[in-house]
Amino acid sequence: MPVPLYGFLQGDVVGLLILADDADTLEVLARKLQDAASLRVAARDRVRVVYNDKTMDLTMTVAQAGLQALDRFDVISG
Amino acid sequence: MLSREEWLPLARKLDWDYSYVREDEVFPEVISGRPWLPHSEWKDWEESFKTSYREYIDNQYEKDMAVQAVHDAVGRIENVQKLALPWLNSLKVHAAALPLAEFTGVIGNLRGARFGRDSAWRTMATFGALDEYRHTQIPLLLFHPLLRLDSQFDWAHKFYHTNNWFAVAARHFFDELTVGQNAIEFHIATNVVLETGFTNLQFVGLASLARESSDHMFERMVTSIQTDEARHAQIGHPVLATVMKHDPKYAQYLVDKWFWRNWRLFSILTGLSIDYLTTPDQRPYSFKEFMEEWIVDQFLRTLDEFGLEKPWYWDLLMDELDIYHHMIYASAYSYRATLWFNFVIPGPAERKWLRQKYPKYWDDMDAVWEQISERWRTVGPGAENELAVHGTAMPTFCDLCQLPLSAGTPRKNTARVLVHDGRKYIFCSEPCQWIFLHEPERYANHKDIVKRVLLGEAPAQLPNLLTDYFKLTPDTWGKDVHHGDYEWLLARKDSAA
Repeated sequence: MPVPLYGFLQGDVVGLLILADDADTLEVLARKLQDAASLRVAARDRVRVVYNDKTMDLTMTVAQAGLQALDRFDVISG
Repeated sequence: MLSREEWLPLARKLDWDYSYVREDEVFPEVISGRPWLPHSEWKDWEESFKTSYREYIDNQYEKDMAVQAVHDAVGRIENVQKLALPWLNSLKVHAAALPLAEFTGVIGNLRGARFGRDSAWRTMATFGALDEYRHTQIPLLLFHPLLRLDSQFDWAHKFYHTNNWFAVAARHFFDELTVGQNAIEFHIATNVVLETGFTNLQFVGLASLARESSDHMFERMVTSIQTDEARHAQIGHPVLATVMKHDPKYAQYLVDKWFWRNWRLFSILTGLSIDYLTTPDQRPYSFKEFMEEWIVDQFLRTLDEFGLEKPWYWDLLMDELDIYHHMIYASAYSYRATLWFNFVIPGPAERKWLRQKYPKYWDDMDAVWEQISERWRTVGPGAENELAVHGTAMPTFCDLCQLPLSAGTPRKNTARVLVHDGRKYIFCSEPCQWIFLHEPERYANHKDIVKRVLLGEAPAQLPNLLTDYFKLTPDTWGKDVHHGDYEWLLARKDSAA
């Protein structure tokens, strides 16, 4: 099920709308955001996903992490 | 016949006591504003520059003739063609943003002309409305004919009639500031904060930028408008003084709220024009230097004059002087097809200048420009490659100011999510959230572009969004001024090879 999220990539100048699937892992979610921002920020190999001020396990899915429509998540270096 | 000195004091004050209706029915709080006070509290309202209708018309006639003379001398298409390309695009920004925003000022002033609480105030607001008609007509007269030079000047008329994201943000601002506002808040927000705080001085700064850029028509236009602003901006001062006397907390709130809302829009219009759309050798100062010298000092003096405190977010605003408009410009460059004017990438010499002027965060901005430049190097220059050097994912917007979520720094964006009455909102910054929470009934039902897309009210695909919703065309949507063909950019590629 699609979940629209506000994604903020460290180093970028604007937040982006990322359409995630609730079955996406957070690793996939991070990659989606990095791809979406690649015009402005070079992709990094090691990143973390932060949600509600907590670093999340990248193997969790969007649903397992509790991310809901129009929540904010951050992808930061790692 | 009475002399001017005898007649004016009689004509200025034409209030009387009502016998058939109550005063609060003639001036309802909902449209006159609060605090609601009997006329006895407003009867000493006094403008510092007094004028009669005849004097007003004589002065305005002279000013209009001066603008016309400069337009005839240097306002022809062949004169405009000689301007530097980045500056020409600064003109397009102002050509779109200015005229109909000024027209909303007519509406606000006419509200003051009917619902202002003293007759002298109402007379001055009538002159203010006439001023704002003039400020609508002059830029339309000067800019719209440039359509023959460049189709993007069509946006002088078109901008506010579209759902372009920047038009949505500007309408959200002006609808509240002027169109749907009560007389007291209108005159404080517009005269004291916008005009005394920003545009009166901004126009002085813009005139000097235009002069440096050899754009004498624009210089004359903004100088002429500025002289009106300096006069009618006075209306708000005695209004604020009375509100301050009876409800200082509310006066502080209005000033805090409107300084922030004005800053958001002003930093984009003026910040981009000074630091990016004026060629480096023609920049007399950086935007930050301009703000510190012209806006900040003057605003602090105004606060002091009324016994007001600095806004609670003052430190945050001072920090934003170093970064906010840079983040907006880089965002806008990477989504330039969503706008009606063209952009330029800052080259090595400009980036060196920007680093000198903005040392605090420039490293982070430099990395962004390097990455964008690298994309141009990879795909090669050319109009056909514009969209290969363009954002594809949907950018996001603040639920208060409606501008991109580009606040904070590249390392830490300050956007914040709020759940209010079961709905989720996002704000670019703490002050935008603070304003929302003070008057949620005023803002809660407005939908930003992202919400419109998610609800199916606006197209989700970028090409359809540009043409069907933003009303742009391949001719008018924004591009890189040089389509990526920069000597410095290609030289770096050659040296790498």
